[in-house]
Amino acid sequence: MKQERRLLLLMEKIDKRFPGVHALDHVDFDLYEGEVHVLLGENGAGKSTLMKILSGSLPRDSGRIFIRNHEMQEIAHMSPEHAQALGIGMVYQELSLVPTLSVAENIFLGRLPRNRFGLIDWKRVHGDAKASLNTLGIDLDTHAITGSLSVAEQQLTEIARVLASQPRILVLDEPTSALSDTERTRLFEIIRRLREKGVGIIYISHRLAEVPLIGDRVTVLRDGQKIGTFPTSEVTEDQLIQMVVGRKLTEQYPKHGVEKGEVLLRVENLSVPGKLENISFEVYAGEILGVFGLMGAGQNELARALFGLEPAYTGRIYIRERLTPIRNSEGAIRVGIGLIPRDRREGLIPMLSIPPNITLGQVSQYSPHRVLSLQKEKQVAQRYIKELRIQPPILDRPVLYLSGGNQQKVVLARWLYGDTQILVLDDPTRGIDVGAKAEVFSIMDSLSRRGIGIVFISSEMQELLAMADRILVLRRGRIASIFQRGEVDQEDLLRSAS
Amino acid sequence: MTEKIPLDTKIDSTPELAAPSVSPSLQVRLETLRRWLVQAGALLALLLLSLYLSFATPHFLTPSNIANVARQTAVTAILAVGQTMVILSAGIDLSVAAIAGLSASVSAVLMTSQVTVLGLAIGPLPFVWGVLVALAVGMLAGFLNGLIITKGRIPDFIATLGMLGVYRGIALLVTGGLPVPSHLTATELKGYLPEALIWLGAGDILGFPVPGLIALIIVGLGWFILRYTAFGRSIYAVGGNREAARISGINIHRTKILVYTFSGLMAAIAGLVLTGRLNSANALMGEGEELRSIAATVIGGTNLFGGEGSVLGTLIGAMIMGVLGNGLNLLNVSAFWQRVIQGLVIILVVVLDQWRRRRFGS
Repeated sequence: MKQERRLLLLMEKIDKRFPGVHALDHVDFDLYEGEVHVLLGENGAGKSTLMKILSGSLPRDSGRIFIRNHEMQEIAHMSPEHAQALGIGMVYQELSLVPTLSVAENIFLGRLPRNRFGLIDWKRVHGDAKASLNTLGIDLDTHAITGSLSVAEQQLTEIARVLASQPRILVLDEPTSALSDTERTRLFEIIRRLREKGVGIIYISHRLAEVPLIGDRVTVLRDGQKIGTFPTSEVTEDQLIQMVVGRKLTEQYPKHGVEKGEVLLRVENLSVPGKLENISFEVYAGEILGVFGLMGAGQNELARALFGLEPAYTGRIYIRERLTPIRNSEGAIRVGIGLIPRDRREGLIPMLSIPPNITLGQVSQYSPHRVLSLQKEKQVAQRYIKELRIQPPILDRPVLYLSGGNQQKVVLARWLYGDTQILVLDDPTRGIDVGAKAEVFSIMDSLSRRGIGIVFISSEMQELLAMADRILVLRRGRIASIFQRGEVDQEDLLRSAS
Repeated sequence: MTEKIPLDTKIDSTPELAAPSVSPSLQVRLETLRRWLVQAGALLALLLLSLYLSFATPHFLTPSNIANVARQTAVTAILAVGQTMVILSAGIDLSVAAIAGLSASVSAVLMTSQVTVLGLAIGPLPFVWGVLVALAVGMLAGFLNGLIITKGRIPDFIATLGMLGVYRGIALLVTGGLPVPSHLTATELKGYLPEALIWLGAGDILGFPVPGLIALIIVGLGWFILRYTAFGRSIYAVGGNREAARISGINIHRTKILVYTFSGLMAAIAGLVLTGRLNSANALMGEGEELRSIAATVIGGTNLFGGEGSVLGTLIGAMIMGVLGNGLNLLNVSAFWQRVIQGLVIILVVVLDQWRRRRFGS
């Protein structure tokens, strides 16, 4: 780092309490011009709260914020408008685009260029939008309706929107969680270019491997407290994991060899119009079948089709060698298939507490007039809360308030309770922290040892290589290849997928 | 796969990490207090309102007036139980009052005169058959609503708004636009409504009005269904997160059709009670009750977007509306002002409720 870099942002002893939680405990944070400062921590560690305070969407209880506006000045009250005026740009993990508007309208939302009659200058809107997308190296139709784009494309649109306001402080909250590797590489190039222009970047990520790739300094938060700030060149990944998790992970990828059992699931010539073509494979009892593909290669549709959510599929699905058409989720559950959806919000009923969320997969199979035993339901929940270490173990609180990793465990518990034989996991570790990831993997491992067949879809090659017995690679809706465990590396996977 | 392998997460955790900042038991207690505060808001408003009225007018806390309030609140409360279930499933039923009018009209016509349907002479029906006909009509109408919404993929609001017109229209056709029984149609011999039906709407047991008892029983039934049955659970699931409900295997269409059928059934019961109270049915009876039932539901703390709320809150909501109307009457407030005040109170209660949720929620 060059010495003459000036301080852009200083947050001093920021403190914030929510009922029952000390979200931030006198946390200090600073940012220099032309620097990428990585913010690390488990879910619930306080990263998002800190950033929300910076952007003015949450008030702080105490602490001071200074921002350079020619010279450093204290900002007593921060509001979202104020933050924007000070040149703070935020790219949130949860997309904040309006799905029914076009890409160009979203990029210039709230500040559409006008002509001299005060009307919107549509030519300029689309021209400028195209230009700002091009600087990101993205080729998108600016007239396209945002909701019809893939998650990755939406994420890039969101980044383009924030960059169009030319921020001096840019906050990226897990920007790569939905991106493919090529898109991620491109994003890193953009970040480097911005850094050279003197923009200060706060980068939040769960992918520890990204820290040395992109960061200059890294700050670790845990349970609302700052653990420390370090130049990225001076800490190893292992040290970071330990600081983030607060304990030593004995094994990040627990994996036992399991002897293959009978064929649980056999898929023959599965096709979903426009999405999947002639997919054939089988899953054995105790096997973890990995599925890899670039964004939009059909992994998501494969998961949905196996769970009856693509009723228009053609081809044959055999469960334990019996031909079983699966046209809806009820039918899938009945034959012992469970799905952990890609988006955790699709898996849970947010306002219900843990017990009903766990039993829902079974309750849905009951006839409507069947009377439930709430007492038994609580016992079931307590069993899984203990087995899966769901935190906090409060039975009557909406699952809305659980962290991402714990929510994921509740969805897992639903299928464990349902005696599921075949479990389809669609990117189960997306956006959850290292500690929770390791737990999800070890749960997967114990499930496979119980003889459950697992279809494990992931965008993280490392995870697949470590956990899967075989890896099926999809390319544009077709099977590109199926690899045995140990006979491939990341490069092979990528080459096969693209 | 023969032996059961325990799930172990293979991660050694240090106790330092496991201990939360607040002890779990205290956290649970705080949580209970918070929930109570969130839920008891409407009850508090009802108590304050009653307290004020009991000081403001000597007539409020008399047995006859309380019975009167119970009688007036009953119809709204019964309709609101069905409405609450619909709203919990993220729907809305604008046709409840129309269904009440239709089912009551059909059954009143059949109980008071002889009608020829497809060459079959029916009626005058005895009380029990009349009640069964009303319930069947109500359920059928609700079932149709559900069918249109799910299979026709029409938004709940539009479908029930349209069917509101259809049901009122059919009721007018059935009654010829006249009250049943009618004293205007002197040329035709029309019978009187069965005594038992009038007892449903105007009778009492040991001084407590029958309609109030019916409403309480129905609230109890609704509470049981929502809390203890698979149907109730699926209502919360569909309203709370449709996608997640689907992924959990809930049959969304079946749930919605059942919910609307149930709401139709409640409307039919309300229609019978109202007919008994008025000693006559007519096609346009209960106009405006659909909005009152929605208001009672929302005042009672049910989230208008579904997934959150309870029938007990709705009962309190209905009682607030009933007590308010009664109190304004006792205080001699003009009927025109009453409408203004009632409208403002609905908004006020919901504003307070939202403020309380923000303050004590999460």
